[in-house]
Amino acid sequence: MVELELTVNEKTYKLEIEPDERLIDVLRRRLGFTGTKEGCGEGECGACTVILDGRTVNSCLVLGVQAHGRKIITIEGVGDRRRPHPVQRAFVEEGAVQCGYCTPGMVLSAKALLDKNSDPSPQEIGVAMSGNLCRCTGYDKILRAVQRAAREVSGK
Amino acid sequence: MQFFQARNVMEAVERAGPGSYFLAGGTDLALQLREGKVKPQVLVDLSRVAELKTLNASGGCLEIGSMMTFAELGSSELVRTKANALWLACQSMGSPQIRNQATIGGNLGNCSPAADGLPPLLALGAEVRLVSRRGEETVSLAELLKRRPLLQEGTLIKGFLIPDQGWKSGFAKLGRRRALAIARLSLGIAVKSEGSRAKKIRVALGAVGERAFLSEALAEMLEEREMDETWLEAAAAGAQQVVASALGSRASAPYKQAAVAGVMREALASLAGGEELNGG
Ligand SMILES: Cc1cc2nc3c(=O)[nH]c(=O)nc-3n(C[C@H](O)[C@H](O)[C@H](O)COP(=O)(O)OP(=O)(O)OC[C@H]3O[C@@H](n4cnc5c(N)ncnc54)[C@H](O)[C@@H]3O)c2cc1C
Ligand code: FES
Ligand code: FES
Repeated sequence: MVELELTVNEKTYKLEIEPDERLIDVLRRRLGFTGTKEGCGEGECGACTVILDGRTVNSCLVLGVQAHGRKIITIEGVGDRRRPHPVQRAFVEEGAVQCGYCTPGMVLSAKALLDKNSDPSPQEIGVAMSGNLCRCTGYDKILRAVQRAAREVSGK
Repeated sequence: MQFFQARNVMEAVERAGPGSYFLAGGTDLALQLREGKVKPQVLVDLSRVAELKTLNASGGCLEIGSMMTFAELGSSELVRTKANALWLACQSMGSPQIRNQATIGGNLGNCSPAADGLPPLLALGAEVRLVSRRGEETVSLAELLKRRPLLQEGTLIKGFLIPDQGWKSGFAKLGRRRALAIARLSLGIAVKSEGSRAKKIRVALGAVGERAFLSEALAEMLEEREMDETWLEAAAAGAQQVVASALGSRASAPYKQAAVAGVMREALASLAGGEELNGG
């Protein structure tokens, strides 16, 4: 076992994990952040996306030990029903959520983009969302939702 | 399995011995661990080694630390102007999440046939800095890729040196990593020109055979010539010959031989960089 100290959604946790335990398992099983979803488990679908020190990563490909001393944002740290993030509101308003399995990852990719660039071009949005797959909605709705959120965030 | 987080290169190399693996971004290693394809006794994490996270241009070289991620390299103006082929490869590699995590050192360490970083680095004439308990070594990437195994036990890839001599470079690829091996192809090219005349060329192919390689035959065919329409056609036809002879009778040969002409044209159309210095 290895000691791990990490910050999730601005709260610090100390725990012991196996060296080959994946970050997604640490988040879901040990810490209960079950909003992080496992789709493919091999870096292809983006359902497990979290923000690690400001950048999106696939938590199914990160070992827990790699998060030592670092800051993570999961979907639970973005907003909730009572106080949704502009991206979450825009997803609902544009009908960009169906089964919802891909949504946490999508929202985190969009948030990471808007945190850095509040006025992205459609092309920049396309690139930022390209690591997140959705089996249900058309991507149009998702891209429109991100555009809508961008307008709100940038006040345009 | 033991886990060790190294704070500097010395510590990392000291802990690396039989059965140890270096851990960079983990985008290859995490899956290989999970599938039981590798069973390390010790995992030596490099994420805290600041010496490996460097990028600078000095002494006529662009120096890239092995722990630089594809996202970092792909958003660097220095890389775009000095090593356009590599910069282009960084834009199309994986997905944003993969690029945020995957390192250039891990790309060489894993050394898959379709590793996107290798054809650009070969075309740019990169040297690789290696370090182990036995000492340090600097070797051209082209030579290193001929070694079996690639790295001796406990050898750390410290970084890459790209000579800054006013070469233009370009890159193009076909197919994603998960596409059938038959549908993948990548090409890096660098040209040192005088006016419209190509003086020196380096061309490297990826996903054509087991590892990326430089084609000296193709370079010779294209050097000391005007870069006109005929030359472009010769480049496309020459690339087809190289692919045909590298793949022989393998099933992917006809498809890749046809496809490489377009990939070559695209790579040539993407040539850029190297303007600042002339005659170096
Ligand atoms: C969904 C997905 C898509 C991908 N798409 C692409 C793609 O388009 N193009 C592409 O080229 N690759 C792709 N890859 C493969 C992978 O992301 C790259 O090979 C990446 O560069 C590996 O870097 P890493 O830092 O994650 O390496 P790791 O997984 O940490 O390490 C890989 C190997 O290299 C060794 N190693 C790492 N660093 C060093 C070092 N400094 N010295 C010595 N040995 C070292 C490790 O021990 C290990 O054996 C993809 C992977 C996934 C999961
Ligand atoms: S579950 Fe991690 S990318 Fe699909
Ligand atoms: S809403 Fe079902 S996968 Fe995207």
